[in-house]
Amino acid sequence: MKKMKSSNRDTVRVFGGWPLLIACIVIVAVLVVIGFVGENNIRRILIRMFLYCAMAVVWNLMSGYTGMTSLGQQAFVGIAGYSMAVMTSTYLASYWVGLLVGGAIGAVLALVLAVILFRMRGMYFAIATWVIAEALKTFFLSWKFVNQGGGLSVMGRPTDRTIIYMVALLICVAAIVTVYLLLNSKLGLGLTAMRDDPDAASSVGVNIFKSKLICFVVAGIFTALAGGWYFLNNVSIYPNSGFGNSWTVAVVFIVIIGGIGTMAGPIVGSVVYIMLSEILADYPGWSNIILGFIAILVILFLPDGIIGTLQKKLKFEILSQKRFSQE
Amino acid sequence: MDTILTFKNVNAGYGRVRILNDLSFEVKKGEVYGVIGPNGCGKTTMFNALIGLIIPTHGEIIYDGKNVTKMKANDRCRLGIGRTYQVPRPFEGMSVFENCLVAAVHGAGHSEKEGRRVALEALKLTELYDKREVRAGELTLLDRKRLEIARALGTEPKLLLLDEVAAGLTEAEVKDVMKMVATLKDAGYSIIWIEHVIETMVKSTDTLMCMAQGSNLVVGEPLEVMNSKLVEEVYLGGVEDDE
Repeated sequence: MKKMKSSNRDTVRVFGGWPLLIACIVIVAVLVVIGFVGENNIRRILIRMFLYCAMAVVWNLMSGYTGMTSLGQQAFVGIAGYSMAVMTSTYLASYWVGLLVGGAIGAVLALVLAVILFRMRGMYFAIATWVIAEALKTFFLSWKFVNQGGGLSVMGRPTDRTIIYMVALLICVAAIVTVYLLLNSKLGLGLTAMRDDPDAASSVGVNIFKSKLICFVVAGIFTALAGGWYFLNNVSIYPNSGFGNSWTVAVVFIVIIGGIGTMAGPIVGSVVYIMLSEILADYPGWSNIILGFIAILVILFLPDGIIGTLQKKLKFEILSQKRFSQE
Repeated sequence: MDTILTFKNVNAGYGRVRILNDLSFEVKKGEVYGVIGPNGCGKTTMFNALIGLIIPTHGEIIYDGKNVTKMKANDRCRLGIGRTYQVPRPFEGMSVFENCLVAAVHGAGHSEKEGRRVALEALKLTELYDKREVRAGELTLLDRKRLEIARALGTEPKLLLLDEVAAGLTEAEVKDVMKMVATLKDAGYSIIWIEHVIETMVKSTDTLMCMAQGSNLVVGEPLEVMNSKLVEEVYLGGVEDDE
């Protein structure tokens, strides 16, 4: 554990190194064991949690660290979900092919969108991403190849839920590890500067375009992988489910509740979100109203989210990307 | 002496508003080149064009033998143009050390390990070493100005651009800044220094340029420039009224 004098009064403790790594390994090991022996309902809930967590972690990378607040991540979810369905039902390929094709198309889509979107900042960027996702939804609603609004089924779903569980866990862990490594690399150092002042960052040599592009593509890939895998588990996809804005609503909720701009925030946020949505599942009409109400309360009273507030109050940082002058 | 920077008939501005008007001047290697001029005459805009935040609509900027007129800001930084901002713009959420580390890693292209050394050196030179772990957002004005310089030094520039680093400081603090600039000059940096404190400029610069309405009004020895009738008219607006 390192200590940092952050002002004349405060000292921040940073949890990291071996103890943290061991704690993470233990948590993942427990989750793996649950994958083998856990009861079906628990595993179903955890699969959803892993996939939402993966999407939230990369959305936080974009919005919390580079200021690109995308409201159109469902574009990637839908594209990947349809890739999964088309590959397995139209071409009768295995779901592995479906997953990888979805991820690859997600990456290409991110690269193409970057050319258009990176000319915009802030609100304009957010609206543009949303419009693009809506346009894709409209397109899929009328595209004969994907059966228009009638949707498609995913074929060849593994009979053993363990595989779905393990891959979902893998996607989640991979997203977290990737984002953590990115933030602790040279690139991450530049991102933190960019978040505070993009012009000043570029005048000390940070390549804004490249940094944004890497984050956007990483987010696109993991959102697509998680989305594709979600629809394998879900068995069928429609334009309104794949490209529905409830994806973005959920992801934004998770990141805000957990703590935007913190590594652990989206992880904690996804646990909270999935638990709440499971509890509220019995009250379908009320669930969104209650979730919205909770979000408003958190924004009003804990604007830094659960983790952000805890870190400030208790003066610690977890999974931090802080650099110290002494090694 | 060799030339490190040439502006050739540069026009530049924001949107349709043209600020720089056919601006031409030359800076030699190793000199402290002072720039004065009334508010709004385009001094800071000249810096923005020089580092690449705005692109000139006409003319050329030659730095160290290369035409950099249309180059991106981060690439120019890599070539060795480092700037400070008039209103300090530290990365407030990061520590003082991290601010300089960003510059050393991204601006000078070092690994984090090597960058650490460069950053700490820049902090020593600017007397911020003892405050290196403090959050940049908590610094006083003088320290923020120091951090601006430290961060620019972190990029290992050949040409250092100082934008009113002495403005808003007490007399004693201004002396500190003057001392720092002298140290930097001795260390071999070429420096362009924008400032309003005339006395400081006369004492600390080798060449002085007075700008007016986006172009170069008078250039020469600092004292000569200060005494020129043109400068009096346009900049001081009648010295006899002043103390």
